[in-house]
Amino acid sequence: MFSDYGQIFVFMLVAIAFVLVAFISAIILSPRKPNISKDATYECGEDTVGDTWLRFNFRFYVVALIFIIFDVEIIFLFPWAVVFKELGMFAFLEMVVFLFILILGFVYAWAKGDLVWDKPSPIIPKLDRQIFKAD
Amino acid sequence: MVELNYYLGLSSILFAIGVIGVLVRRNAIIIFMSIELMFNSINLSLISFSSFLGDVTGQILVFFIIAVAAAEAAIGLAIIIALFRNKGTVNIDEINILKW
Amino acid sequence: MNNFTEILKSINSFLPELSVITTLLLCLIADIIIRKKSPIVTIIAIAGLLVSAYFVYMQSAVQESLFSGMLVIDPFAVFFKYLFILSSIIILIFFEFSNEIKESTHKNEYSYLILSLVLGAFLMASSVNLLMMYLSLELASLTSYILAGYSKSEKKSSESSMKYLIYGAASSGIMLYGMSLLYGFTGSLDIYEISRYLATNPTPNAFIYLTMIMIAAGLGYKTSSVPFHFWTPDVYEGSPTPVTAFLAVTSSAAGFSLITRLFLTTFLGSTQIVDGAFSIIAGIHWQEIIIVISVASMIVGNFVAIWQKSLKRLLGYSSIAQGGYMLAGLVVADTIGLTAMLIYLSAYLFMNLGAFFVTILIVNKLGTDDIEQMKGLGYRLPFVGVAMAVFMLALSGIPATVGFIGKFYLVTALMKPGAGYLWFAIVLMLNSVVSLFFYLKVVKSMFLERADNTDELPGIKFSVQSYIILILLLIPTIFFGLYFGPIVKLAESSAVLFGIR
Repeated sequence: MFSDYGQIFVFMLVAIAFVLVAFISAIILSPRKPNISKDATYECGEDTVGDTWLRFNFRFYVVALIFIIFDVEIIFLFPWAVVFKELGMFAFLEMVVFLFILILGFVYAWAKGDLVWDKPSPIIPKLDRQIFKAD
Repeated sequence: MVELNYYLGLSSILFAIGVIGVLVRRNAIIIFMSIELMFNSINLSLISFSSFLGDVTGQILVFFIIAVAAAEAAIGLAIIIALFRNKGTVNIDEINILKW
Repeated sequence: MNNFTEILKSINSFLPELSVITTLLLCLIADIIIRKKSPIVTIIAIAGLLVSAYFVYMQSAVQESLFSGMLVIDPFAVFFKYLFILSSIIILIFFEFSNEIKESTHKNEYSYLILSLVLGAFLMASSVNLLMMYLSLELASLTSYILAGYSKSEKKSSESSMKYLIYGAASSGIMLYGMSLLYGFTGSLDIYEISRYLATNPTPNAFIYLTMIMIAAGLGYKTSSVPFHFWTPDVYEGSPTPVTAFLAVTSSAAGFSLITRLFLTTFLGSTQIVDGAFSIIAGIHWQEIIIVISVASMIVGNFVAIWQKSLKRLLGYSSIAQGGYMLAGLVVADTIGLTAMLIYLSAYLFMNLGAFFVTILIVNKLGTDDIEQMKGLGYRLPFVGVAMAVFMLALSGIPATVGFIGKFYLVTALMKPGAGYLWFAIVLMLNSVVSLFFYLKVVKSMFLERADNTDELPGIKFSVQSYIILILLLIPTIFFGLYFGPIVKLAESSAVLFGIR
């Protein structure tokens, strides 16, 4: 009856209608008695603390950067893996060379200390003066 | 079957959004996201051409574009971090020591 | 199985690039093991480049297609590979001299960054497939972003690399869009295939203009041609001086190799060369794009340079203008023009590297590259000052320097009877006159103006090594200006593109 994309279109219409019906029926049927704790962000008695736009430690970014590169390079493994059996030894060696260079990059990042997560070294407050001396 | 023109239209619209984002936005990271949008629109147009022509080379190019875009994003973010440490901002308007 | 034998055969001809890759990995491993600043890494890099130069030399007269038509070896590519090797060896030595690098927290990283840019440049010079062109261009670009931000704690350096990155990424995106349109239209990424398609099928000129301007955005950004030049002055001023020299010479030479091969091959009507002229597909006027870019580069570069106060920025605008001159050789689309371009590129290598070396020495001592601060400097460092004067005169194209030879051949190529580029030759010469003005401004500031207390300031001494390097750069600048036979002969034999005879 429908073409392939026509089915998707019908599916989309049904999905939109479903959401709209749910929302509109909620608006019509629900009782409305707002109060302070109901208007709060999480509606569970817990106040939000601080700004939503907080800064992350930039260590996260460094790790994320390294992750992105090695993650995306895997893209070259997929087409290779599909036809691996037909290509045989030569293609295997080529991929070994590729992975060797990739791993060398990883070792480089490692050796340069970019994977070391700086552990917080808190300064524990110490008292120079003992208040309660023994004597 | 969706016509080639629709894909090309979508890809050119995405590309235009990307270019406008690069020109208008002031935050370096958002500019970078716009550039990624440009690359993805190009990927879309290459894939649709490739499937339309029945020729696989376009899809191979897409593979490489994705990989290079990832490398570019990594370098870009690293540079943005270095800049942020030096200047405390990623706003393009405040990056103005060098001019004329 | 046929593919594998071809790949194995190609690897045999891929030795120059392979030796660069091996050297790169060796440098990287050496740096991980040594963990501190040491000249060993630089020595490995230079040795590897020399090995690669040997393999390039073995390919002198070869014309071959590699990796199922991804790359070619031809005299044109070989010439550029020589250029890249020579300039990057000189730059590696520059890095040892610069104080800006010594203060950096990264110790040896520049050597393998340079090697990977050289690898990208090698591939750029020999790629004949849009995929390979894009990949090699990006390899060179990504490396140069890192190099531009090399002094990580310098505000200027990270700002310049940020600007470089944004311009670079955006323009390579535009280039890719052009490539995707070209691919969709012609059904191939191979530029010979594209050329065959365009020659046999009528193509609307508007389409050619659209795609070629888009592709020229990516390539013109690499060669820092107007109107894609906006990054150039900022990056040149902000990056450490050796990096600036590297970008100005090696990176832009790679851009020229790519732009030349792309434009001359894609619009080839037939592979026959008649009277030295490449036959262009009738009805496609791609030269107009190059003419606009070239004239705009000359005019903007030369006229804006007049107002510059920073020496590195001045050299930045100067290299925009020089890029404009070199593109003039491409417009003529014959072997004479191509030869002239190659001659100019080799001339440009010596004189520009010389100027940058003097800049490195001055920045080391003064801590600034402000031309105002150089008043009377010529009397405090006479030899370096005279050397700077020579390089500046060479850049402006005064006779008896190598710069004159380059300009002479370019103008001769443009004045070919019947081509109708006489006006272009006149524009080029007038621009040279304008350029004399700002090149001499540097010399004037060093010698004719005096700071109030010049006489009290002590003379400045440099190490013996720096004098040796300076002399080694001065000799070819003057020697090849008087005895230019070898350069011309090399360029003439190198103006041969693969598959065109």
